[in-house]
Amino acid sequence: MTGQSYLAWAKDPEIRKRGGSGGFVTAALIAGIKEGIIDEVLLVRRIDQFESVPYLTHDPEEVKSASSPQLAAPLNLSSYIPRGVKVAVTTKPCDARAIIERAKRGRFELEDVYMVGLNCGGTMPPVSTVASVRDIFGVDPDTVTGIEIERGELIFKRDRGEDLTISIDEAEKKGYGRRESCKYCNTNIPEMADLACGNWGVPSDQRATFVEILSAKGEELFEAAKKTSMIEFEDATQKELEKRLKIDRRMRELANRRWDEVAGVLDEMDRLAYYINEFSRCIHCESCKIVCPVCVCEADAKCLDMGQGNNHYRISLYNMIRLFHLMDSCIGCGQCEDVCPVDIPLTMIHQRFERRMEEMIGYRPGFDLQKPPLQKPEEGVK
Amino acid sequence: MSWQPKILAFCCNWCSYAGADLAGVERRQMPPTVRIIRVMCSGTVDPAWVLEAFLEGVDGVLITGCHPGECHYLNANYHTARRYRLLEAFVKEFGLEPARLRLEWIAATEGVKFAEVVRDMTDKIRALGPSPLRPEEGVR
Repeated sequence: MTGQSYLAWAKDPEIRKRGGSGGFVTAALIAGIKEGIIDEVLLVRRIDQFESVPYLTHDPEEVKSASSPQLAAPLNLSSYIPRGVKVAVTTKPCDARAIIERAKRGRFELEDVYMVGLNCGGTMPPVSTVASVRDIFGVDPDTVTGIEIERGELIFKRDRGEDLTISIDEAEKKGYGRRESCKYCNTNIPEMADLACGNWGVPSDQRATFVEILSAKGEELFEAAKKTSMIEFEDATQKELEKRLKIDRRMRELANRRWDEVAGVLDEMDRLAYYINEFSRCIHCESCKIVCPVCVCEADAKCLDMGQGNNHYRISLYNMIRLFHLMDSCIGCGQCEDVCPVDIPLTMIHQRFERRMEEMIGYRPGFDLQKPPLQKPEEGVK
Repeated sequence: MSWQPKILAFCCNWCSYAGADLAGVERRQMPPTVRIIRVMCSGTVDPAWVLEAFLEGVDGVLITGCHPGECHYLNANYHTARRYRLLEAFVKEFGLEPARLRLEWIAATEGVKFAEVVRDMTDKIRALGPSPLRPEEGVR
């Protein structure tokens, strides 16, 4: 039933062992294919211990082999969703929000997309993670076989030699750890997806996934998994529910504190001078626009059209139009900052504008199919 | 001559453009700081035009339209109002003084109000000084 929470795990011991927490996600995806609910599965498949790529498949065996503890990868899956087929996607909160925003813009029907949400405490950028193994521990990165985040500790697993452990706070103080945008992202449980899965709230001696059913589509997948007897499950107890919410609350607090640290300094500053200075580095490669999951204008976009050839401006019109356009749609996924060749803190800047809009109008992009206030005139409002 | 602010005004063809005309016909006194662009409706004013105007170096932007409920195109000025709220928040976050942007409802008969708004806005911007977004000298 919608709103119900379970502890579930895969019956197949191999899936249960390989999955991040009990293999429920893998099992449910396979069940979805077998039952014919979904045609394709879009997930991330690891290519080595540090990196993953998006992968579209309809073969249950491949879904099984792709399962890994690191389902969260620093990329946004929403742009890879095929049109017109029923597809299940493993989504972090930012993926789910991007999918909803893209559906709003007519890229695909939201009805066709089954979002299997994953609780997310942040993703790791591959390059700096590789570097951190070398720099912090003085160990060859190739000896690492896997990365896990557990109870605020970052653990690099190794076949030979001991596991390397460092607390996330410490790693982040040294400039490694999660991506910058993940540090202040305060949406950790994908409440806008169809299912929310993760190991938060699961007793430490149990290998299971905490599953919350959030919509009818989510229920469909869960029922399919039940019917094909891919999973075993029990109701989540009050204690487990509370434990999960407590972790979520703690993560949120941490994120908000980080946000105050990073963006709060701008409150008292001459922001105009700051923005002019930051954007003066921009070389107009347009990468931020290309990767942006909520920007769907493609080649005939206004920012490209109007933003060209005015190089006497303090800030280019390209950047100004993007700032304005993303004000009511930025979901803070961090893709733009990842690709920026001149390291402009784009996500932080876009989020500052977005959060101000949020405060003023009370609209949060990416949570439902409601249209942004800019497009929905209401009578009698000045 | 000392520095005079430059204000760009978007005036609706059906109301405030006629209002501005009336202000002239009635010999209402106002400073010559305003440059008017006539638009068919305040609802056609793209926020990108406002941003471009600031980047081109104007010191203030005034958007004028028909009073709520009197729009020639039924409800387009409600769109303006909505868009303006976002623009307002944008300008605030951007660090530009909020007084540099203004939305006013001015009817065709309100020459007095048009002159009053221009006088008031000019005074406020004169106190603020030139826009920090004005392009560097020598370029333009």
